Amino acid sequence: MHILLIEDDNDAASYLIKGLKESGHVIDRASDGEEGLFMALDSNFDILIVDRMLPKLDGLSLIKKVREDKNDTPILILSALGEVDERVKGLKHGADDYLAKPFSFSELLARLEALNRRNLPDSSSNLLEVGDLKLNLLSRRVEREGEEIDLQPREFKLLEFLMRRPNQVVTRTMLLEGVWEYHFDPQTNVIDVHISRLRSKIDKPFKGKQMLFTERGAGYALRHNE
Amino acid sequence: MNNPFNLASFRLIFIYTLLLSVSFGFVLMFLYFTSARDIQIEADQKIVNKVEEINRVYLRGREKGLFNYVRGQISRPTLNIYRLYNSSNEFLAGNIPEPTDLKINEDGWVEFTFKMNVNGVEETYYGRGRNIVTPFENLRLLVGRVVNNEIKLKERFFYSSLWSILLIIFLGIFGGYILSRNFLKRISDINKTSKNIMDGNLSERLPTTKGKDELNQLSSNLNEMLDKLDSLMTSMKEVTDNVAHDLRTPLNRIRSNLEVTLMSNPDIEQYKRSIDEAILETDNLIKTFNSILSISRVESGTSYLERKSINLEDLILNLIDLYEPIAEAKDIKLTSEVEKEIFFNGNMNLLSQAIANLLENAINYGSSSPKPFITLGAKKSEESISLWVSDNGEGIKDSDKKKVLNRFVRLDSSRSLKGSGLGLNLVNSAVRFHNGSLKLLDAKPQGLIVLIEIPVS
Repeated sequence: MHILLIEDDNDAASYLIKGLKESGHVIDRASDGEEGLFMALDSNFDILIVDRMLPKLDGLSLIKKVREDKNDTPILILSALGEVDERVKGLKHGADDYLAKPFSFSELLARLEALNRRNLPDSSSNLLEVGDLKLNLLSRRVEREGEEIDLQPREFKLLEFLMRRPNQVVTRTMLLEGVWEYHFDPQTNVIDVHISRLRSKIDKPFKGKQMLFTERGAGYALRHNE
Repeated sequence: MNNPFNLASFRLIFIYTLLLSVSFGFVLMFLYFTSARDIQIEADQKIVNKVEEINRVYLRGREKGLFNYVRGQISRPTLNIYRLYNSSNEFLAGNIPEPTDLKINEDGWVEFTFKMNVNGVEETYYGRGRNIVTPFENLRLLVGRVVNNEIKLKERFFYSSLWSILLIIFLGIFGGYILSRNFLKRISDINKTSKNIMDGNLSERLPTTKGKDELNQLSSNLNEMLDKLDSLMTSMKEVTDNVAHDLRTPLNRIRSNLEVTLMSNPDIEQYKRSIDEAILETDNLIKTFNSILSISRVESGTSYLERKSINLEDLILNLIDLYEPIAEAKDIKLTSEVEKEIFFNGNMNLLSQAIANLLENAINYGSSSPKPFITLGAKKSEESISLWVSDNGEGIKDSDKKKVLNRFVRLDSSRSLKGSGLGLNLVNSAVRFHNGSLKLLDAKPQGLIVLIEIPVS
């Protein structure tokens, strides 16, 4: 991905650039809001990462200006203001996702990946397919290797969330926000238990390869080899 | 003590007294003028009657008859005045001496004074009357009445009005002074206490009396405010102390871990393990920080938290849905007793998090019995909404119940399990945000019931 990072703190920026380069991305950096806006409008990026508090032009106004220019590059906000209402404010200004500092790098990577995929043309089909796993949104039928799998409503929603992001790392926070719509961190490993339940239904009974993987230190991914 | 004349209350009383006096003065003036006029009209009527009588006497007996009539009238004591003159203005007959200060008004009325010796005392009399002149102008009769009584009555009325106004002004100002001084004393007591408090005597409170007047209400409100500030300050202090203590421990662990790893000439695997451990520790620190932040955000009330209509059944079933697998993994039976259609205005995320914390507590600490179960319930009554999480674990000793709501408090029995000691504290803040109350009750035969009661506004 070609990413524009708009962040005024040099140390934070250099860690991010290093990490993102390690992960195979191409990074440009702007160190204030005006420069960031100029660069964002000047060339074509896959994703903008915008810090909320920037000199010269603050992050929210920058995003507003980018959107006013009919530029719909996915934007992720990084901010020390992490509360739900701040997040809502950010999204209202036209951002696509919001990550509170301090964040884990794997969380950032997973969200960037998700934003990038969202940019791909979305098939509006009612059938989701990942490998031999099929999920029908209308009949609410799930099958693997042609065999029907009986899922509870929440398991269905969880699987749908994962199947919409095949071969992508999905973090626990993304699952909590996306499937349960909660914006807080449970102290217990509730998500892990949900995933292992789901795994026992979609992976265990089948001789085929494992699909639902745990990504160490990051989250989960539903994978299949092309 | 300050000068009471500078006091707002006194100024108010002063202005009020002035207004009252002015309006009272107007009323008295009106009364004075109307009664004075009535008295005058009555007196004048008598003179007019007399004039008519004399006119009739003249018509009957001409100059002679008139002369005789006057002679007859003045021979006996009367309040009527007669003075008869001839055409050359010489005095012929009459019952009073020559009047002085004679004044003839435009409407024909004559006013005059005269001095007369009655019972050996010379007195001044006031008279009022009319001149009657015979058709051939050979006789002129001044006929009138002594109006001393009427004048005295008017004067008395005037002076008593004046005095009563002066009395009102005096009583108003003097009474205002006394009242203000009393008021001022209480104000100055309040001021003195406030100064004491400002000087650092934070436990001192403003004096209140039994009454329910504004000053008392103000004092008790201020006292309540001070209590609240006091408890906030105390909890702030506790937080800083606790943060310093509780965050220092994990920070120290991270530091020693990294330092020791560096010292021991490690291989790549050891480095990785150390860094992994450090990341895990920092993640926990971040979680703790986030919890502290959300608690103080809720408690300070400085930031905006949205309130929306929440369906409690949805909220609880959602949470059960999230926690049911982990409860099942621990062989805990998780059930709900929720009435349908309970709606109330609140912050969904905050309340969900609070109940999630209670559920996690119950799952972590309340599952010691051989057949553990947790019940999540909600019901609505006339005046409040109740929400509860109950388990059949060990419960909490009465002596610990108050303690566990504080920040960073972890009971000895739970120290071995991971946790920040902030869970119940956040629940408490969330409940307070919704104006509710939190109770820790004993379940029968054993276990804990955490009961949240939120009044229906």
